[in-house]
Amino acid sequence: MFGFNKFLDWFSEIADRWDTKGIKFTLYTTIAVVIGGLFELIPPFFLTKTVTPISTVKPYSALELAGRDTYQKEGCIGCHTQMVRPFKWEVDRFDPTKAYGRTGYSKGGEYVYDHPFLWGSKRTGPDLAHESQMLRSDEWHKNHLINPRTVGGVPNSIMPAYPWLFEESHKIDVEQVVSNMKALKSIGVPYTEEDFANAPSLLKDKTEGQALVAYLQKLGKDSAELQKGMK
Amino acid sequence: MATEKTQYDDFIVKGFIISALVWGVASMTFGVIIAFQLVYPQLNFELPWTSFGRLRPLHTNAAIFGFALSVIFATAYHTVQRLCRTRMWNDTLSKIHLALYNLTIVLAAITLPLGYSQSKEYAELEWPIDLLLVVWYVIFFANYLMTVIKRKEEQMYVAIWFYIASFVTVPLLFIVNNIVIPAGFLKSYSVYAGVFDANIQWWYGHNAVAFVLTTPFLGLMYYYLPKHIKQPIYSHRLSIIHFWSLIFIYIWAGPHHLLYSPIPEWLQTTGMVFSIMLWMPSWGGMLNGFLTLTQAKDKIKVDATLKMMLAAVTFYGMSTFEGPLLSIRAVSALGHNTDWIIGHVHSGTLGWVGFMSAAALYYLVPRLWNSNLYSEKLANAHFWLGTLGILLYIISMWVSGITEGSMWRAVGENGELVYKDWVEIVEFLKPFRLFRAIGGTLYLTGIILMVYNFIKTIQNKDSGFVEQDLRIGVKS
Repeated sequence: MFGFNKFLDWFSEIADRWDTKGIKFTLYTTIAVVIGGLFELIPPFFLTKTVTPISTVKPYSALELAGRDTYQKEGCIGCHTQMVRPFKWEVDRFDPTKAYGRTGYSKGGEYVYDHPFLWGSKRTGPDLAHESQMLRSDEWHKNHLINPRTVGGVPNSIMPAYPWLFEESHKIDVEQVVSNMKALKSIGVPYTEEDFANAPSLLKDKTEGQALVAYLQKLGKDSAELQKGMK
Repeated sequence: MATEKTQYDDFIVKGFIISALVWGVASMTFGVIIAFQLVYPQLNFELPWTSFGRLRPLHTNAAIFGFALSVIFATAYHTVQRLCRTRMWNDTLSKIHLALYNLTIVLAAITLPLGYSQSKEYAELEWPIDLLLVVWYVIFFANYLMTVIKRKEEQMYVAIWFYIASFVTVPLLFIVNNIVIPAGFLKSYSVYAGVFDANIQWWYGHNAVAFVLTTPFLGLMYYYLPKHIKQPIYSHRLSIIHFWSLIFIYIWAGPHHLLYSPIPEWLQTTGMVFSIMLWMPSWGGMLNGFLTLTQAKDKIKVDATLKMMLAAVTFYGMSTFEGPLLSIRAVSALGHNTDWIIGHVHSGTLGWVGFMSAAALYYLVPRLWNSNLYSEKLANAHFWLGTLGILLYIISMWVSGITEGSMWRAVGENGELVYKDWVEIVEFLKPFRLFRAIGGTLYLTGIILMVYNFIKTIQNKDSGFVEQDLRIGVKS
């Protein structure tokens, strides 16, 4: 206790002298802040480079990527998380078909192609990390997006309706998606020339809504496949 | 005294005060709209630019970068000149800063509803706007630092420390988190992926709370509180200790947003431990504020500005108690992703940031426009509406969040989820969310009263400001 008081005396005596030196003060402040910043960012940088990759996790197809962009555009992250925590009640709720086995929570390897990550911080609607394994049809998703309250048995949903996503005016901009894929390739997503070449036919006449449905049907699919492969 | 006043550039302070009022009303109006949308989805109007997903980032950006930053800049320009007893280094730079800053917020208000978003919370803006932001930030910071360097007062008062700490840290966080690869004029991707992107984002996100919404407002408290009650701060030594420990510890706490996620276990634990350690420096600041206030406790009864400061410090103490509590793993398991977090954030933003800002504005507006405040009664009404609004807001969110978390985890005797149907839970929470929206409306009403009060005060400008002791009427 007394040692601590002495430490505080010693520290406040010297710190008291810094407040007459503008530059020195700014420098010391920066150092104080940078120490914590470096500790938090640098070691995990190397650790997460070695996040165990899950062999079946593949990059998003052109259509799924366009859907992911739509997800970002509409701010779905405000209400939906994509990270199932290791609790029975979360695993059971978001993986009712047990597609991921007993440890059906989210693993680091599932997110290696996610620029940016979309875990979210508020779960007003259900988590979507394993949406593909909820086994809902494309048609269900489409109807649900057009009006969440008329179909699918969610009459009391508070989700906004997204009818415009399926309108003609919301066709996907093919060139933009290819340019997006090229940007992602430059930061490490393993897209090939073939992927770029196939993109136009995948995206032809598709709306943002269809792309969003494709993205939702991709979520959790690859890691579920791994689990099925192990059985 | 009169000659010394003209020595300072007050134009820039007035400019940022007006920005604060405009963006304050805008951000809180959007807040109220989205709060009602969460009960009545019809209020999304089935239009892209009025849907919750797009308005929510508009609300947070306008509140943090429109309102809070405007208050920070207004008070930074005001205090630095007085504490250094010198005019700003360069008035033109100040004006460029004001213009570009407001341009940035206008661009944000246009692009966010149009759906241009990086989907990183509080860093939604696309890269051209980010670059513009860096330009005016550098201009501002150079001007600020040069003013500090050419000061005529030997010692830098504690308020300046807090401003400097904020101004060196914010660009660091902002730049590291916003490194992207552009894929078009308004489209980009974070260069970081998955787990690491999450780690960087919450290092940024947590410290936006620290170095935008906490430290500058502590600086502001250290200046305006003693000024307003005409008593010195309670303890200079406590300021030193809590300043250095606060800025050293705060930056480590980011991973508490990612407990139970796939980020490394040791990192989660570090974040949790440092969050708990934050109790001490946070309460150091709160106690310094409280103990200073007790020197003028008889004034609190009659002075709305002082009441706001007292309430602000109280809410600061409360939300910095709640923060470390929520970062404990077991509590996070219940509270994470629920309305509780929204309540926690708003007890800090509405209570601490909102009331401290209002108090500083009530101090500044009459002095800068050289006129007495139009109505003390309205200011008092603002205080009570605001306090009632915050209490309704946070209590309904506590109840809603804990109910939500408990319903999610409720497991029956046979191991089955009790509330399998998600929408059942949503339905149950509607009344609490409605109370939250009503609380927000009350708070917004208080803010509108304040703006009206200021418009009336400004219309009376140059009528001569006379400092009043509200206990005994007009004093010399």
